[in-house]
Amino acid sequence: MKPDSSTDIPARRIFLRNVTQGVACAGAAAGAAGLLAATASRAADADAPATPAVRAPAGEAASFPTADYDWTRHRWAFAVDATKCIGCLRCVEACKRENHVALDAHHFRTWVERYAYVDGNEKPQIDSMPDKENIAAAGSETVYRFANKYRDSKVDKAFFVPKLCNHCTHPACVQVCPTGATYKTKDGFVLIDHDYCIGCQYCVQACPYGARFFNHARGVTDKCTWCYHRVTKGLQPACVEVCPVGARMFSDLNDGDSVVSRFIRENRVQVLKPETGNAPNVYYVGLDKEVS
Amino acid sequence: MDPLFEAAPFTGYVYPNETVIPWSVLIVVYPYLTGLVAGSFTVSSLFHVFGLKQFRPVARFAMLLALCLMVCVPMPLLLHLGRPERAFNAMITPHLTSAFAIFGYAASFYTILLLLENWFVYRAQIVQIATEGRGPLKWICRIASLGSTDLSERAMHYDHKWIYVLSIIGIPAALGLHGYVGFVFGSLKSREWWSSDLMPPVFLLSAVISGTALVIVLYVLTSLARKVKIEEACIKGLVYTLWGFLMFALLLEGVEFASLLYRSREGIDVILTYVTGRLVVPFFVLQIGLGSVIPLITLTVLVIRGTRGRALIASAFGSAVLVLGAVLMMRWNVVIGGQEIAKTGKGLLTYQPELLGREGLLAAAVVLCMPMILMFIATRIFSPWAEESRAALLRGRPVAA
Amino acid sequence: MPKHIARLLMLMVAFIVIAIAAKSFFTRESFYRYGHYRADSVPAIAGMATSFQTPKACINCHGPRHAEWSGSVHKTVICEVCHGAAPGHPEKLKVLIPTDTLRLCSQCHEQMPGRPTASILQVDLRKHFPDAGQCIACHNPHSPKIPAAALVADRKSAESVTASCAACHGANGVSTNDAWPNLAGQNPAYIARALGAFKTGGRASETMGPMAQTLADGDVANVAAYFSSLPCRTAGSGHAKGIAAQGRSVARQCNACHGTAGRPVNPAWPSLAGQNPAYLEAALTAFKQGQRVNVFMTPAAGALSAQDISNVAAYFAELNCSARSQ
Repeated sequence: MKPDSSTDIPARRIFLRNVTQGVACAGAAAGAAGLLAATASRAADADAPATPAVRAPAGEAASFPTADYDWTRHRWAFAVDATKCIGCLRCVEACKRENHVALDAHHFRTWVERYAYVDGNEKPQIDSMPDKENIAAAGSETVYRFANKYRDSKVDKAFFVPKLCNHCTHPACVQVCPTGATYKTKDGFVLIDHDYCIGCQYCVQACPYGARFFNHARGVTDKCTWCYHRVTKGLQPACVEVCPVGARMFSDLNDGDSVVSRFIRENRVQVLKPETGNAPNVYYVGLDKEVS
Repeated sequence: MDPLFEAAPFTGYVYPNETVIPWSVLIVVYPYLTGLVAGSFTVSSLFHVFGLKQFRPVARFAMLLALCLMVCVPMPLLLHLGRPERAFNAMITPHLTSAFAIFGYAASFYTILLLLENWFVYRAQIVQIATEGRGPLKWICRIASLGSTDLSERAMHYDHKWIYVLSIIGIPAALGLHGYVGFVFGSLKSREWWSSDLMPPVFLLSAVISGTALVIVLYVLTSLARKVKIEEACIKGLVYTLWGFLMFALLLEGVEFASLLYRSREGIDVILTYVTGRLVVPFFVLQIGLGSVIPLITLTVLVIRGTRGRALIASAFGSAVLVLGAVLMMRWNVVIGGQEIAKTGKGLLTYQPELLGREGLLAAAVVLCMPMILMFIATRIFSPWAEESRAALLRGRPVAA
Repeated sequence: MPKHIARLLMLMVAFIVIAIAAKSFFTRESFYRYGHYRADSVPAIAGMATSFQTPKACINCHGPRHAEWSGSVHKTVICEVCHGAAPGHPEKLKVLIPTDTLRLCSQCHEQMPGRPTASILQVDLRKHFPDAGQCIACHNPHSPKIPAAALVADRKSAESVTASCAACHGANGVSTNDAWPNLAGQNPAYIARALGAFKTGGRASETMGPMAQTLADGDVANVAAYFSSLPCRTAGSGHAKGIAAQGRSVARQCNACHGTAGRPVNPAWPSLAGQNPAYLEAALTAFKQGQRVNVFMTPAAGALSAQDISNVAAYFAELNCSARSQ
């Protein structure tokens, strides 16, 4: 191929070349536009809610996400009365079984923290499930209990605080998700789409409460869902069902007489880390200055 | 009783889920590589945009280096992702409130920009191989040349304009590409160690010094290998660049750290325990002492005394090596350090990197070496050295690099 | 414009067009419908199977047990807390019957600093009958409350005390005489109550009165615990005068309190399975004639004829008491 120089080509060749190039460009542009239009309309068709979850009678909006449960009719919240919690950890075990969470002492959708002010110390000793003593007391990492390690100590004050995902109104985790795999539903749940998450774990970093973790089995992140699969069937979350002392409560705030609505009305309630601006939806009674 | 899962040891109180540290050494390597990209590109644009002639010997080299580094940037991320096959989800449906979503587009844009720039810079050589080469390389270059062998004055004029414009676009693009990495950390509310408005400029400045340092190191090494004279003016220019940005970087890092200590928010006791304990060696000794203060003093002496000759080159080389280590330690101290301080503000964890495995130290080392391997291969094919430009030899006239 | 620039521009345009088209093409169908997420994910999560069934699922087959449980203090503890989650029960899964009740019950009831006493009754495991072995030795898990009187403590000192009981009630708690009751495996709360009644004279007996009076209060508890821990005799000895088969129909009215297979509803009431028939007859007759007075037993025995009494005694004597929980 010889080096080329435009000064050698006669005028008509230049003209022909320009016309050819012009036609080619126009053709390419038309083809591109057509391609764009075709894929855009395909995407638009696919996006249109032509196949709702349920075939509703004509004129009525279909119930979403299931035929028996309409997410626009509910606004859920969770309440914890930490003055009642006995730290039995039934909730932790039940959650693991209900939601098939990895059975070890390092991945929890919900957990309980123990605070013990011992021997006149100003700062409490705090422990939870991953502590070696508690694992030894349980006998294995698949079941959970607190070791009774303070029974012979001079305990000034001690209490238990259950923790779980707060399903915040302004969730930091949703804000940082790069793909849209985690999101807030219309009924107030923050959920994770396990078929879309890429497992970057940015959300795990962003959550100020440590509620999220990596599901190694599936390569995606995971967290408490307030048992969405139970709530949409009219059941309570597993942890609420098994609590023997009624420390956990869950109900629809749209019903002013429901248990959480009354709880909020009748008590001075608090939330965890309000300074983050996340607006959590788990309401506590019985927190302490050292609970973070 | 053996634990069912290898989790991080901890002291004090940490949230149960924190005992598994999410971001590994690969997430230390990733900002390090993007930083080197931004830094080498900055060096290259000192010549291509700002017209500083003393940087001519390294300008094209730095441009190629930036490309080789950029191509390797997705590697640590793909190795880290839980589902790398879904990586494109972040580009198909980017969630615009997330800094990570910007990565896909920023990185793609910047990669294409670097590809184009390098194409223009090395086009003469591509054309030469397309016409005079042999074997598969000839055909690759024929395609790469887009079927044009035009190396006339007019064509080269266009090339230079493109290089100039792309370099100008490349500066804010580089700032954005690496600034966003700082934003990824600085914007989070959950970790006191990361949450700071100064994170993006700190990351950016340390990026520039790491890139400059890498260029110094590679320039000296390749010149020694090629047995070519090292241009003192070039080294001096690089020393000034490194010196200026190093001071600025140290200033901002110091302000950020001082701010954290001054504000003394809840959890500061644990941070102080960490800073005066586990962090002493990686931060005060390696990053600040060895990696920043010693090079700063050395460079200051070089500048004030106007050192020349072998002393200049040796001191510059030594300082550059230390700075490269400092910036790696800075990334480590930010990424790993931030995760070792628990979100509870009441506990500390210990990151224990695995040696083998997808996110192990060996994987990180391989990822760090890849750009150098690519660079080695690339320089066998194309010559980045201005004085050896084959197109110039071909045409018998000097080609304005 | 030089050739290569023009071609480069065309290439860039083509690339952008393909990129935009690819982005549209690969965007999942239901994405963006309700927000920046895949709408199909929501019903997928909502449709996942549940594990815990809650007691409303148990009531269908386990009615009486459910009634017992829901009338007790344990009604806030759902069945699956102790028995494990039961998805697919009974077709696919047998529900767990806990054996290590000490471990199970202490998970909630072990006295621990931080456990609010208003929330739950707690015991110090080192002091609360550590030799009893299992909690269900004394406590019915579905109705766990025991009257305060039935407290049992240290078994070891009981052995020395019970040496004198062996003469009549046998070294192993199995009587040497049909007229005297077997004590082995009997509910400790009942033994304690009986001894207490003998001691105060509330229950008159020429033999047992003086014997009971030699016992201190702590001894009473120990003796009760000791005898209850002994293996029970599988059938009462002695020839029963009555016909067991006929006694079975009469015994239906007894089962409400004394339970079937020797497990009374309240552990403070005696187990009758495997008891000597002569003793049972004597006891029922005493109730009927007023020599023994009890708010339940007096009308119950009063309704029985002498023949009924014999038949009932024969029936209970033949029941196998080892089916009881221990």
